[in-house]
Amino acid sequence: MLEQSPAASARRAAMVLIASALPGLAVAQGVPPPLPDYAAPALMDSRLAVWMAAQLHLMFAAFVLAVPMFALFIEYLGWRTRKTDPAAARRHDWLAHEMASLLPVAYSLTAITGAALGFLLFTAYPRFMHYLTGVFGPTFIVYPLFFIAETLCLYFWYYGWQRMQGERKWLHLVLGLALNVFGTIVMFIADAWATFMMTPGGVDAQGRLVSLYDAVWNAGWMPLNVHRLIANITFGALLCSGYAAYRFLLAGTRAERALYDWMGYTGNLIALFTMLFLPFAGYYFGFELFAYSATYGVTLMGGVLSWLFIIQAIVIATLFIGAAYYSWLGLLRIPGSERQQAWSSVFNVLLIAGFMVWATPHTMAASLEESTGGFHPVLGALGVMAPKMIAVTLILVVLYGSYLLYRRAGKVITVPWGRTGERIQWSLVGVTALAITALGIYGYFAPAEVRIRTSIWQIIVLMGGIVATFILDQFLMRGARTVAEVQWGRMPGRGQYVLVALAVVIVWLMGLMGYARSGARLNWHVFGIMEDTSAGAGLPSLGEAALVITLITAIFFALLAVGFYISALARGDGAGAADLESAGLLAEGERA
Amino acid sequence: MKPAALARLCAAIPLPTGVFLVAAGIYVILKLVRPVIPHSVILLYMGFVVLGLVIHVTLRDERMHRFAEFFVQTGAGQPRALRAQRLGLLAVLPLLFGWWVYDAYRPRYAPPVEIFQRHPTVGEEVLGRIAVPDWIAAAPAQWDAGFVSEGKKLYDANCAVCHGEKLDGQGVAAEGFRYPIRPANFQDPGTIAQLTLPYMYWRLTVGGIQNQFNSAMPRWVAPPDNPDVSTLHSYDMNGDEAWKVIAYLYRATGHEPRR
Repeated sequence: MLEQSPAASARRAAMVLIASALPGLAVAQGVPPPLPDYAAPALMDSRLAVWMAAQLHLMFAAFVLAVPMFALFIEYLGWRTRKTDPAAARRHDWLAHEMASLLPVAYSLTAITGAALGFLLFTAYPRFMHYLTGVFGPTFIVYPLFFIAETLCLYFWYYGWQRMQGERKWLHLVLGLALNVFGTIVMFIADAWATFMMTPGGVDAQGRLVSLYDAVWNAGWMPLNVHRLIANITFGALLCSGYAAYRFLLAGTRAERALYDWMGYTGNLIALFTMLFLPFAGYYFGFELFAYSATYGVTLMGGVLSWLFIIQAIVIATLFIGAAYYSWLGLLRIPGSERQQAWSSVFNVLLIAGFMVWATPHTMAASLEESTGGFHPVLGALGVMAPKMIAVTLILVVLYGSYLLYRRAGKVITVPWGRTGERIQWSLVGVTALAITALGIYGYFAPAEVRIRTSIWQIIVLMGGIVATFILDQFLMRGARTVAEVQWGRMPGRGQYVLVALAVVIVWLMGLMGYARSGARLNWHVFGIMEDTSAGAGLPSLGEAALVITLITAIFFALLAVGFYISALARGDGAGAADLESAGLLAEGERA
Repeated sequence: MKPAALARLCAAIPLPTGVFLVAAGIYVILKLVRPVIPHSVILLYMGFVVLGLVIHVTLRDERMHRFAEFFVQTGAGQPRALRAQRLGLLAVLPLLFGWWVYDAYRPRYAPPVEIFQRHPTVGEEVLGRIAVPDWIAAAPAQWDAGFVSEGKKLYDANCAVCHGEKLDGQGVAAEGFRYPIRPANFQDPGTIAQLTLPYMYWRLTVGGIQNQFNSAMPRWVAPPDNPDVSTLHSYDMNGDEAWKVIAYLYRATGHEPRR
């Protein structure tokens, strides 16, 4: 199927150049020998070895890409208030630095797992990597340059934190911004390789490169970029929250608990906010995949990988419910929030009911006695896209409602039109929910093309409702009187265990979806262009896949724990008395 | 019962009893739905219900303590009804768990529950080779009425016996098939409306009876390069006729093929 293109020798030279620059690659200089199709350098099924290395690398890469994004944002928030509220500025700066402190070791682990992945790919799949290098040769040269730039920025940003305070803070922020820009570019380049394997573009029917631009900007590239950007932030934020929860539980003083409670809360809030967009980003990616080839749609949604999405639905439900539960528990920090706490139980019922619909399978696993032979007349209707879209979008409305309530806890609205404003606000939330439901019901009976359009309208209505009520909320809460301060550190211990559990769940979920994305290619290295004819080309059973994903999760946390331990050794125990005292999170008389 | 009286009654019920009653009530309701809801789905739902109840109980410290105290508080002055509830729950819960374990491991003679795939996976190397005729690749409104009419005749003669004259999966022979799947109901938006034309053609012509797809569907077109194939109904339709039947399925149900 594949033929040598005219520029093959140049690309081959590029491959040798890159390969020799990467540690551990045994590619000889000069004229390379004929490439074998497959090898087993890890003395095990190469697909399994690559799967584990790739997933671990992706997890660490996601972490080191995401944390600088929100750490920089928090640092910026602090910098903005340096004159009006110096205590808040110090607090935000501490939080940003605390989150960034997890990065250096995680960055090393990203590089180590990346090197392992590169070694495995080049040695186990030489013919495939030769082809990929032939197509993406120039990007293979640009990629390390951006990677080096990102590395330099990271280390200067983190280790220059204290030096670049005060007048030079702006320089530190610019450095952080450059770090994020370079990091995003690195991810976008790697995404081009990954999505080319799924939705190849820029090549002819024989796989010869026609346009590098089209090969990079293939059908799946931008959807995956968007999806990964958002998911990475959720991932990083929940890992930071898990770390904060761990520190909270070990904290020896109330002051330390207060700081890590705030860190956990902030991480969870960031995760919840980005999770609002994740289902739609995932849907956008899936939509583009289906548009590229209907085989993906059938494989993922009705075929061999369809049960992964039932598992995914349950895991995502756990994630959302856990994050919501944590935020409801957060009301316990605020004295006088009983009115808001009463709503938590109502939201709980709505959330559980919504997720029951969301997780309902279309085709059910039934015994001989239970089988109706077709779709269940009642529950079968819940198993298709339209009701699931209604459920998930309404769940997001409920989560947003929880956020609005949290903002009101311990506060009294003082604007004269407050009562009317609140009525309008909650009516808008209700109208949004009704419109989403009506669109979903209409979409259920409409053809697929119309259904897809109505689902997009559901998202637009949701976003419109959120933006309108949020803007209204800014005016409503302006000048609101605080009757009870948030008592940081008063969070129950069970809330911290939830944060740790959420960190595990998001890692496992990422493993699951990583497998689904890659497994959807079935027996193709490059879909429709280059077939995988190795002995390990088949898909594992669901149980085996779950075991491997669990193993990857365990290895990830083991490596992360070692990394954090090393990081803690460098910093000493505790959050630093001076930091804690200056952070100003505690009310007078609360310092232990 | 008036709402106020109901609220008083609810308030009088101890929290653990209330939690148990809610869980048991939902379980019973799910069990009563007909046709039966498969055990796997009830398990899934009950997982969510239990999660919701755990969240409800642990949302407030006071509620958690009330829940725990119900089981540990003792005293001669306690009302008899309260003691009976405590002892009842302490007896019922272990028995229930014990039953579930026994039920999961007891020998059965029924075939094991299988995870069924509604739409068997087929490789791009197969679907990519299926050439869709121009006339059916066009918008459904432009399909030749004559072709659709021929499709109907073919459908009535060959398919309706299982899939039904109304295309609702209720053909006279449909009752003969139940596990794991009955003949497809084409009126349902979850079937042909989800599929593309090449997939439909592949599904019709490859069938499932000899292809490990857990379906009794015969193959309706034998591949030209495999004349020795001996499956039931091979050569009953040629490729053109298969496309006409597909056109009829979409026209008669009002669905459109996925693009």
